[in-house]
Amino acid sequence: MASLQQAGLQQGRFQQVRLQQTTVVTLVLATYLSAAAFAESKKEYRFTVGPNANVSVDTQYGAISVRPGSVNQVVVTATIKSASVEVDQQQSGNRIEIASHLLQGADQQNGQVDYEVLIPPDATLNLHSSTGPLSAERLQGDLTLEGTDAVVNVRNVANGHVHVRTMRGPITLTDVRNGHVEIASISGDVHLKSVSGPLVQANSGSGKIFYDGDFSSGGDYRFTTHTGDIEALAPSEVSADFSAHSVLGRVQNDFKLQPKHSRFSVEEGRSFFGTVGKAASKVVLRSFSGRIRLKQR
Amino acid sequence: MTDPKPGITEAEAIEQAKQGHEAAFEVLYHLHKRRVYSLCLRMVSNPAQAEDLAQEAFLQLFRKIGTFRGESAFSTWLHRMTVNVVLMQLRKKGLPVVSLEETLEADDEAPRKEFGTKDVKLTGSIDRLQLQRAIDRLPPGYRTVFVLHDVEGFEHNEIAEIVGCSIGNSKSQLHKARLKLRDFLKFMRAEKAKTG
Amino acid sequence: MTCSDVERALPEMLDGTPDGSLAAEFETHVKSCPDCSDLVSDLKLIASEARQLAASEEPAPRVWVRIAAELRAEGLIHDREHDRDSEPASAPGRPILVPTSPRRRWSAWWLAPVAAGLVAAGSYVISHKPASAVAKQQAPATPGTSPSTSPASGSPTWVAETPAVTSGGTSGENAAAVRAPAPERLAQKSAPPKGVSGSSAEPAPSPEDQQFLSVVSTRAPSMRATYENQLQAVNADILETQAYVNRNPGDVDARQHLMDAYQQKALLYQIALDRIQ
Repeated sequence: MASLQQAGLQQGRFQQVRLQQTTVVTLVLATYLSAAAFAESKKEYRFTVGPNANVSVDTQYGAISVRPGSVNQVVVTATIKSASVEVDQQQSGNRIEIASHLLQGADQQNGQVDYEVLIPPDATLNLHSSTGPLSAERLQGDLTLEGTDAVVNVRNVANGHVHVRTMRGPITLTDVRNGHVEIASISGDVHLKSVSGPLVQANSGSGKIFYDGDFSSGGDYRFTTHTGDIEALAPSEVSADFSAHSVLGRVQNDFKLQPKHSRFSVEEGRSFFGTVGKAASKVVLRSFSGRIRLKQR
Repeated sequence: MTDPKPGITEAEAIEQAKQGHEAAFEVLYHLHKRRVYSLCLRMVSNPAQAEDLAQEAFLQLFRKIGTFRGESAFSTWLHRMTVNVVLMQLRKKGLPVVSLEETLEADDEAPRKEFGTKDVKLTGSIDRLQLQRAIDRLPPGYRTVFVLHDVEGFEHNEIAEIVGCSIGNSKSQLHKARLKLRDFLKFMRAEKAKTG
Repeated sequence: MTCSDVERALPEMLDGTPDGSLAAEFETHVKSCPDCSDLVSDLKLIASEARQLAASEEPAPRVWVRIAAELRAEGLIHDREHDRDSEPASAPGRPILVPTSPRRRWSAWWLAPVAAGLVAAGSYVISHKPASAVAKQQAPATPGTSPSTSPASGSPTWVAETPAVTSGGTSGENAAAVRAPAPERLAQKSAPPKGVSGSSAEPAPSPEDQQFLSVVSTRAPSMRATYENQLQAVNADILETQAYVNRNPGDVDARQHLMDAYQQKALLYQIALDRIQ
């Protein structure tokens, strides 16, 4: 009898140990799995909106890419790097706000969230990121993109106003038409290819500005730098009223400009004024000490 | 603009400029800017061009300052460099730097009495502005030699070496330039007497 | 000796070393011939007066500015750093912002008036035209006519907006009540230092810049190097342009560039404001 009791006790202890071991293993597995699950995760958010939607995406670290989707829905896919960052999302009527929210211990690596966003083509868009890149394409609403070091890329946008500003990030606009374009950077380069509209304005302190287009639409084109060079490439059949002046730098011009009446004197090598064709558009190129070149394609 | 007081000698400024000190370059510039600019202006008669030429002369000097050993006076070195910069510019533009001895410049044969200025005398002093205007009216070849000799003080053998002509040509050009200037000045004085 | 002989001998007589006997004949004729006497004295006068023209003209101040700029560009001037694209070796590859606690927005409301003050300073400078302004260039002119340079007209996105100051801003942080600097003070701070001894050192950062960097150091220490570099760059631009404007007060276009430089600084403040949270 006693041996049976002992055997029973032993078995009980054995089972207890087994249970404890199993629990430990389970806990370890669960912890591992949950950690693995938060190493990187994808989340999708869907919002139903009406006309004139306004979408704002703000992330400290990470890329934001925006394309056109259906006319009454905003779809946000967030790739979240780790548990050190979470995504806040909020909807008020037609206004959607998405923001990365860094938690304790977050840094650029584990605090990264990349967003892919589909919006109605005519929605107003606001993007903010320190690191970027930021990209938006095939849209028709007003766009505002801001990045500290972010590379910014906007292509195939029509009818909307485009505002971009960066501290150092380079900015490229391709095929942007028919809206107001306003670009400001402290030291980022600005590339404008086939950009035209009623107002195209680019300002960089020490970055360069390159323009390759036709200065069309009877628009107002103003490129200004402090020390950066400005280079503009236009076709021979351009129709524009050109003014270029560099206070300390040199200017160069490939076009045969018709002189125009001006109150101001031309400073050889530092400025040129004149018109080509019917002078439909106004082009003003200004730099404090950068070089300005107007080339014919 | 008030020129900065140097506080250092030219020799010290040259040594410091070799080390790349901006202030030293500025001292050297302010010491010689009037001479350099005036020379350019007299030679090309165009302030904007003269500024560009003066700028280029100083830049060439400053780029080579590391090689200056003091074997000749710094100002002489700069002076020569400025003249070379100007002459190169004139040649680039296809303007005659100095006339060939055998070729007479336009209006060279105009008799000195043509303007009816026999009774006008230049004695006393010459109005500086009038002299400047008269120099501007000189043909380029005459102007080059006159400016280099009478204004800047180069000797004929130096002028001959710089512009690539003979000493005789240099003397002949100078003489003709002075004669022409005399005619211009008498004419201006006569005109002024009429109106004034 | 005839008058023609005198004319032929003139170059040698005036500038050369004439032969002794030739000189005597020359002198004899000149003393007795009024025309030749006038001619000789006129030519001597022209030669002597011409000497006064040497070094008689002063070049415009912009000549030195251009020379200095070119020397810097060619690296011949070593005592002024312009390398704004390089980062300090110790800085990480990318700027990172790490808040110290979640759901807490730093109260950076003081940056907004500073940014606005910077632009106001620029406006003051551009509007403070000299009495005899010589128009040198086609200038976009006064604020209000050019959207890119006119904060007053509300280039809305960049300058006029104030940051979203959320409630619960931290107390005990650098929530100093900073007055926007007076335009004159900012303009003076950007004035170039006088004197030529030593290198052309940049002035010490303004109190606003120091506070800005101090807050960045506290809230986002790894960003400090980047912002400091950019701040130095824009301050250098302001300084350079201000110096040029001081020497060329009639240059309207240069004044406009000075305004643009102030706006660049305001842009930097704004970008920092938006990012530090």
